Amino acid sequence: MSGGANRKKSNRAQGWEEAGFEFYQESYPSNDVELHDVLQKDPKHLATLLPSKQNRAYATIKMRQNGTSTRTYRRQTSSKSRRESTTRRASNNAEVHVSMLPDLSKSIPNEQTAWEQIMQIKELPISMTEKKRMKSDIQNAPNFRLQGYEQFKWKRRKALRRFDQKINEILSKLELWRKDLKKIEGNFGTGVVAFFLFIKWLIFLDIFIFVLIFLLIVLPMIIFDPASPTECYDVGNVTNCCAVDYFNQSIPYDTLVLDLVQGTGWMERTLFFQGFYSNQVFQYTTQAFQNYYSLPLAYVSVILVILLVSLVAIVKGAAKGFKHRIIEGEGQFYQYCNLIFAGWDFCIHNEKAAIMKKKVIYNEVKGCLEAEKLEEEKKNRTKEERTKLIALRTFINLIEICILLGCGAAIYFVFTISSELRNDLEDDEALLSLFYGFLPSITIVFLNVVVPLVFKFLVSYERYSPNFVINIMLIRTVFLRLASLIIFYASMYTVISCQPKEDECASSECKTPVCWETFVGQHIYKLALTDFATHILLTFVVNFPRSLLDKKSKSKFAQFIGEQTFDLPKHVLDIIYTQTLCWLGSFYAPMLPAMFVVIFVLMFYIKKFACLVNSKPSNVIHRASRSNSMFMIILLVSFTVALLPVAYTIGEIRPSTSCGPFRNFGTVWSFVTDSFLSTPQWIQNFLDILTSAFFAVPAFIILVLCLYYFTAVNSANRHMVRILKDQLVLEGHDKQFLLERLSLFIKQQQDAQKQMRRSEGDRNAASN
Amino acid sequence: MLNISAIIAHQKFKALAPEKVGHNKNAKLPMNKMLQYPELAVNPFGERICKVFSSSRDGDCTFEDFLDMMSVFSEAAPKSVKAEHAFRIFDFDGDDMLGTADLKQVIDKLLGNNKLTEREMQHLIQNILEEADLDDDGSLSFAEFEHIIDKSSDFAKYA
Repeated sequence: MSGGANRKKSNRAQGWEEAGFEFYQESYPSNDVELHDVLQKDPKHLATLLPSKQNRAYATIKMRQNGTSTRTYRRQTSSKSRRESTTRRASNNAEVHVSMLPDLSKSIPNEQTAWEQIMQIKELPISMTEKKRMKSDIQNAPNFRLQGYEQFKWKRRKALRRFDQKINEILSKLELWRKDLKKIEGNFGTGVVAFFLFIKWLIFLDIFIFVLIFLLIVLPMIIFDPASPTECYDVGNVTNCCAVDYFNQSIPYDTLVLDLVQGTGWMERTLFFQGFYSNQVFQYTTQAFQNYYSLPLAYVSVILVILLVSLVAIVKGAAKGFKHRIIEGEGQFYQYCNLIFAGWDFCIHNEKAAIMKKKVIYNEVKGCLEAEKLEEEKKNRTKEERTKLIALRTFINLIEICILLGCGAAIYFVFTISSELRNDLEDDEALLSLFYGFLPSITIVFLNVVVPLVFKFLVSYERYSPNFVINIMLIRTVFLRLASLIIFYASMYTVISCQPKEDECASSECKTPVCWETFVGQHIYKLALTDFATHILLTFVVNFPRSLLDKKSKSKFAQFIGEQTFDLPKHVLDIIYTQTLCWLGSFYAPMLPAMFVVIFVLMFYIKKFACLVNSKPSNVIHRASRSNSMFMIILLVSFTVALLPVAYTIGEIRPSTSCGPFRNFGTVWSFVTDSFLSTPQWIQNFLDILTSAFFAVPAFIILVLCLYYFTAVNSANRHMVRILKDQLVLEGHDKQFLLERLSLFIKQQQDAQKQMRRSEGDRNAASN
Repeated sequence: MLNISAIIAHQKFKALAPEKVGHNKNAKLPMNKMLQYPELAVNPFGERICKVFSSSRDGDCTFEDFLDMMSVFSEAAPKSVKAEHAFRIFDFDGDDMLGTADLKQVIDKLLGNNKLTEREMQHLIQNILEEADLDDDGSLSFAEFEHIIDKSSDFAKYA
């Protein structure tokens, strides 16, 4: 059916044009008898006889008359009926009927098209009985068998399609957590499910990262098992001796658990942290060829690939949402339609949720109307009020900036104090050392829990519109979380940035740890653990009893304390923060992604518990499409923040001399450039050309030209749409005008006829 | 052709009224039984949905009607089919246009017990028409409705 294919294409490319075409060209079968009937009864119903509605109206009338057979095939078949009806005008009822049905039996040249048609029946909005009938029609109709290669091609297509369907079916059944997701969907709607799907997406991303790291970095280490340096053979070279010193330090094994939690002691000497990895180029022989595997090179390239893949994945996800946004943005106009026609979540099957949903839609409608009123009010606001409000907002924003700065200062202060105190500790005060070790992480997590509450309190004084409140809260909280991470990183930077003196392994002036990469890795590891522990504590120890209190007790006070809604933005931030730690940490602790996979899987259940057991549906609408793009955009911001320190470390900071795969190099990047210089000449030449002005400038110009071309096309299309819209409105007015005129005319005629009849009757009576 | 999903659907159908369905292939369930299906029970348009899909137009559904319903609401159904059925569901008076009366009923059902004032309702309907009524004739035709649905990214996910 070529009509179907045409339709698809034109729908996308030139939907308007096609509409116009349909409007003018399509000569729908009209029915004189019926027309007359309707006009006699009610001239106002003339509108239902318009060609544009003829098909649908006709179908519904038919349907109501005999309760069976015809319904609307309009969409799928209009092109076909158009083609036919231009050649042959149907004049009686039966023929109309036939011409509107897709006359499938006529255009069956062979098996393949028949099969295609059967597949297309699936997309018709008709009932099962009719689909069956149409299918059997097609199957019973005579068709040619395909021959030779054609036959093979068709068979293959059919098999592939069937295979595809089967695979999809199986996959959808095997889908991870399908039941859990369904349950959440039923109770909280699709917006919240989007959040859980987001967790799932992150799990897959992390699994990918982990597999890459494991195969290319960890596995070679396990296979080749390089011996740690034992001899300090070159006295002049400090580096070698540093490594020997570091690896020969005795490790106390008596504090197993404490070390596990802090990542110190024995754990420091595992594949978990960067410091343990060798700087050797492994050699092995396969079939008499000498092969080399450079671990440092593998290490740095894997990290770069991981960051790149993450970036591409996020951008792809964000772009999808962005497209929706643009479509929606053009139709900011469509907010009410969306609300009413697409507002109901058909997946909901829980009564409470349904009542809640009704309330939510009500709130949203109210909110929209309210917002409109607010806009009006805003316009009418007096100058005095406006200045007052602006002053208030500036003041509150200042307070918030102060709070953020205060948080930064607090983190910095706690970090320096705790590391100093920890250095002064005696060896036997393990618990105290544990406490000091965790103090910065605890501070950060504590601030992340408390400060958003303060923000929430403050924002209520600013009198923003409800949608804007959500956004600004989100931005502020993201800012807080990322700022705390940056401060944390900066305070670490003060420790690791000092250049060690000639005869030192690590700078004693700054008290740089001997192996600072591992040191940073340990801190991130601790931060992740603390964060995770907080989620468990908050969900099970704090929020669970609260929800019990809410359910069991009827008193107002208990409900005030216990009631909690599923605050989507907060939970999203939790997850994104964890993922940021993962990106930040994978360079310093290559096995960290594995840990994050586990954490995320557990998080899924923790959040599910928080959602299903602890919370009630929120009274804010969460739209699946919108929230997903929101997740991705925040994730992108966090990714950039995580990327900066890692990039800086690779590019600028001198690796520690005692450990890690890069122990002999000035910076990690200098190692990369060194290895680049050892590649074959032609690769170097090629890359040189790519990066030279000779290539870059023309490429840039071409890109700009492309961009210009597409903006031009875009604006032209926009203009066209506007013109067509105006035209459509005009046509609509014309139509109404003509209809009114026509019905008036018919009425007059009827009156005239009546009068004539009456006068005729009078005359007859008179003559009689 | 029997397959697993059809059997599951039949089990669900049977669970609504086991005594009636039994082994009777052509059993017909009255609307109040149909409305016990959990998703329909809480759906504000449950009755309308039953009516649209019922082959006898009165809300009573045979198993085949039920299957039709399931297939339209399944994820695999194309958007055009969904739009077509959504339009029929919203078209309360069956005149093939969504007029102000239809819109009013849709909104009323959607909001349940939360009532809007008359002025707000007027305002809302006016806003909807302003957004979607391209040819300015005071009601939404199917083409206009489909246009909205095309632009709405949420529709495919929800309906």
